[in-house]
Amino acid sequence: MRRAFLVLLMAGLLAAIFAAYLRPDFVLDLANRIMLCF
Amino acid sequence: MFRTDRAPDLKTVLIASGVVLTLAMGVRHGLGFWLQPISQTHGWTRETFSLAIALQNLLWGAFGPFAGMACDRIGTARVIVLGAFLYAAGLLWMALVSQPTLFVVGSGVLIGAALACTAFGAVSGIVGRSAPPEKRSWAFGISSAAGSFGQFLMMPVEQQLISIAGWQHAFFWLAALLLLLMLPMALRLKEPPPVANVGGQSIGQAIREAFGHRSFILLLSGYFVCGFQVVFIGAHLPSYLTDKGIMNPNVAVLALALIGLFNIFGSYYAGKLGGMLPKRYLLAGIYGLRTVAIGVFLAAPLSPWTVYLFAAAMGLLWLSTVPLTNGIVAGIFGVRYLSMLSGFVFFSHQVGSFLGVWLGGFLFTRQGSYDAVWAITLALGVFAALINLPVREQAIARPATVR
Repeated sequence: MRRAFLVLLMAGLLAAIFAAYLRPDFVLDLANRIMLCF
Repeated sequence: MFRTDRAPDLKTVLIASGVVLTLAMGVRHGLGFWLQPISQTHGWTRETFSLAIALQNLLWGAFGPFAGMACDRIGTARVIVLGAFLYAAGLLWMALVSQPTLFVVGSGVLIGAALACTAFGAVSGIVGRSAPPEKRSWAFGISSAAGSFGQFLMMPVEQQLISIAGWQHAFFWLAALLLLLMLPMALRLKEPPPVANVGGQSIGQAIREAFGHRSFILLLSGYFVCGFQVVFIGAHLPSYLTDKGIMNPNVAVLALALIGLFNIFGSYYAGKLGGMLPKRYLLAGIYGLRTVAIGVFLAAPLSPWTVYLFAAAMGLLWLSTVPLTNGIVAGIFGVRYLSMLSGFVFFSHQVGSFLGVWLGGFLFTRQGSYDAVWAITLALGVFAALINLPVREQAIARPATVR
């Protein structure tokens, strides 16, 4: 039970962080940064 | 000395070192977000900032063996405390210094040394010393996964911090966060009682022994390839995609996010598998699979979905070499000088990283395509897969050895 809760918690945390990568302002910022590097 | 008479709890060591690694690897991974605001504020070209980051990476590798020696000699806790202060000082330096040469040298030295004192090489010694041999590879897997998680977590955090607080204050907040979290975690990293496995072996003898051992040289060579491949792909993949007509920045960003996400699982499971199967075969398999993944990616028609699949596959194979390489080093030479030996191995990784990112840019500028660098990356992958096969994992025989 405790293990399942921890797994769910980790999955939720990783999904939340992954969602942060999909925010338009983040994509734009990272894209600008990548383009500036080349 | 931060030493205890009884072995510290492995769980405590893994949690404390995990927090340190999450911050050390994570903060450094997002530093590129400052390129634009710093360059604009000071009126610099982007080369100044890029040079500072390149110098940080190279000095991280160069300081690694010395930070490792210090960890093995005076205890990991003290070295991490020093590293936390150096890290905070480096961030403040980046926030406040506006003279280009001072900026490059100061931030390069401070953050390079800080990373050497707080990242994988430094922490591997205490993790290896605290874990029983049968759990050592798994413990290295947890550490690597914590570093990978830090890279995945901190990029959006740092981007958001700059948006909310401004680039200069974001450095102040990060410096405070580092000190606030790293210092109490460092103090929990008590060294286990000294192991009687080296019969009075000195640092010089340990270095000579390692560099005289064929398997250590093979591991160094394999790790060089690891650095070359991951940094070339991480730095040049977005540019390659644009070059091949995938102009939507969402694809490159999502690919980097997938690499970060799958890297966490790859690092953990590589460590776990390393406790069950011969690590040299796993390492050979990782380099072999990287070669297959790169070959298929280059041969298949390019689309966003092939990019995502490639990113997920490469993510699984990204830092999965870390727990296995450290595990073999610990298995052969013992854990007394593990941080120092890991530092040497990691230096080779950083030289490979430097060459990967530089050669990618250099050959692209010369030839107008990445074809030659991809070919080198594939050839190096085959080379690394083959040279890991003859690695001998058996513990080195020493007189009066108690491992």
